Amino acid sequence: MLPNRVLVAMSGGVDSSVAAALLVEHGYDVVGVTMKLFSDGSEVPDRPCCSLDSVNDARRVCERLGIPHYVLNMESRFGHDVMDDFVAEYVAGRTPIPCVRCNTFTKFRDLLHTADSIDAQWIATGHYARVRDGELLRGSDDAKDQTYFLWGIDRAVISRMILPVGDMTKAETRAIATRLGLTMVANKADSQEICFVPDGDYVKVIAQRAGADSPALQRGPIVHSDGRVLGEHDGYARFTVGQRRGLPGGFADPLFVVAIRPEDRAVIVGPREELLGTGVAATEVNWLVETPPVPGDPVQVRIRHHSPLAHGVVLRAEDGEVEIALDEAVVAISPGQSLVIYSGDRLLGGGFIASPRRARTELPLLVG
Amino acid sequence: MVMAQPPIYLDNAATTPVREEVFEAMRPFFGPKFGNPSSIHSFGREARAALDEARERLATCLGAHPDEVSFNSCGTEGDNTAVLCLWRAMRDSGRNAVVTTPIEHKAVLAAAHEVAHEGGEERILDVDSNGVVVDASFDEQVRDDVAVASVMWVNNETGVIQDIPALAQRAKQRGVAFHTDAVQAFGKVAIDARTQPFDLLSISGHKIGAPKGIGALFIRRGTAFEPLIRGGSQDRGRRAGTENLAYVVGLATAAELAVAEREQHWKETEHMRDRLQALLLAAIPDAVVHSRGAQRAPHVLNISVPGTDNESMLMALDLRGIACSGGSACQSGSVTPSHVLSALGVAPALANAAVRMSFGPINTEADVDRVAEVFPKLVAKARSMAAA
Repeated sequence: MLPNRVLVAMSGGVDSSVAAALLVEHGYDVVGVTMKLFSDGSEVPDRPCCSLDSVNDARRVCERLGIPHYVLNMESRFGHDVMDDFVAEYVAGRTPIPCVRCNTFTKFRDLLHTADSIDAQWIATGHYARVRDGELLRGSDDAKDQTYFLWGIDRAVISRMILPVGDMTKAETRAIATRLGLTMVANKADSQEICFVPDGDYVKVIAQRAGADSPALQRGPIVHSDGRVLGEHDGYARFTVGQRRGLPGGFADPLFVVAIRPEDRAVIVGPREELLGTGVAATEVNWLVETPPVPGDPVQVRIRHHSPLAHGVVLRAEDGEVEIALDEAVVAISPGQSLVIYSGDRLLGGGFIASPRRARTELPLLVG
Repeated sequence: MVMAQPPIYLDNAATTPVREEVFEAMRPFFGPKFGNPSSIHSFGREARAALDEARERLATCLGAHPDEVSFNSCGTEGDNTAVLCLWRAMRDSGRNAVVTTPIEHKAVLAAAHEVAHEGGEERILDVDSNGVVVDASFDEQVRDDVAVASVMWVNNETGVIQDIPALAQRAKQRGVAFHTDAVQAFGKVAIDARTQPFDLLSISGHKIGAPKGIGALFIRRGTAFEPLIRGGSQDRGRRAGTENLAYVVGLATAAELAVAEREQHWKETEHMRDRLQALLLAAIPDAVVHSRGAQRAPHVLNISVPGTDNESMLMALDLRGIACSGGSACQSGSVTPSHVLSALGVAPALANAAVRMSFGPINTEADVDRVAEVFPKLVAKARSMAAA
């Protein structure tokens, strides 16, 4: 391993560009890499990453910085690890979060493999998160913190990670880009959507990969939680827990999706109070600290990117599963999204929120 | 990037540096000899003389008449022109098909696709596992309904050589115009339009020490031709546009040098290539050298090591100061599986491991030693990681 060499994952955006620039300033031997994750046919307009324009921006930044730049074609692995899973989750009636799996498998496993092959001791990204003593901390800019997407990575990778913008605000990052003359990226818009979902139309992606005849895209009943059938929907994949849009109106209280039942393609709706959960259970749990929390430990959790931190207590933590009792009920705990667990700034770990009935008010929330 | 030694350039099939003699020959045309060859005054006459002379010099290199030489911008233009202009000239006379091979450069394949798009017929010949055109396939496909058959003389990815004089003869017997992409062949194999019955032949300057942006198409007298670029009467109307005189002179100069040095160059590059091949196969016994079972041009070594992938290998080689290439590079710069190796029946995993090393006059035996030392180490590392 070369102790000074760092591979930087460069999307062509401002965060990873500034990350690379700062590493160059600090004297690292920096190698820029852009991952081509999916085909950007001409029908897809400029996306926040993976489009040819983004690759070109990343290359221009590297040229400006005087560092080598490579493009890696990771389409087949990304398609398998991230996109196929994304579709399978919707078909299973859950609401997936592909960025987690991209970090877990694509960036901090496959790309780490590339770092190994060029003897790079370090791997760097433009994530808003901080590395300290082999652990991950939330980014300094609370509005930009991206630890929600990082809970799934292999803990051993943390000691090789450098996150140069993690202790900055987005405004500071943009200011540095301007100061360094990285005009091609300094004022680029933030990426908000899922990179491989053009215009937010994820149903199109499901139809492309699972087929338009996927059960998740067929008509099914809209069923009130009291058992009444209220109408029909045109595919349960179009719904997510907590959603109001697309539901029948004319009721005294507004209705929300409270569960999705793929067995009979039913979308279950109910009043807002049925969305409240006083506890949450997760599977496929991954811990990023040497001593994971045990029952009785107080923690803070997030159940959605940007949702406020909720306080709670660990009820159970074993066999790759975890259950948290929340101090106050939270709304719209969606199966498939991530439960991310913190202690103060420290990212302790996380898991995927488990089956639908767990997101209801009754306790305890047993898994399986 | 810390680099102890200057990098080794083993990508001469992609491009070569401009030779000093070529650069010097071009220099006056950026300065005092700036005239337009089409002008009637003394400046124009001076330029016209240089153009005529360059055309004669390149014609001599090809065994051609000067009027059979058409200067253009690059190999891609020559390939496009040969396929499209022949077909467009012949399509209405009952010859509506074009025939080519699956291992052509994209410049030919894309032109053949365009023919199909415009209502013609595109036929693809069979090649064997070394990439050599199957005779029976040629005889079956090249019939009297074919406007042009196009077969590349030396393949850019594996170096495999086709028997162009024989194929051209068979095409001629059927009245079919025959084009060969000789971009990689020129300066390697003996080319002589007087004895070899091809009708069109394209070459490119930057593969032989002339600059990028200049090429030439040999068009045998009497060959039907529908121009691609129209405008003024330059080049007998075959290619309108003011001639890039400095580069034309550069191409003629580079071509003369390449022809004069051809046999010596073959010997030297073949020695380096064969020695590297032997050293690598000794160090990595299960490595696969593509097109090894056929006659190959001396400058290309295309090698796949099972259990590696060329993206990582090319990066690692580059960062160690060894410049090679993989399959054809896509626009974004990522490596895509080679259509050439796929056509040879190479399994996808092995095709994605292919590394092409191509030699030129700037290489030395010391380069061979260094690559033979570094490459197996990188392979061992890649394999140990894959096993982990």
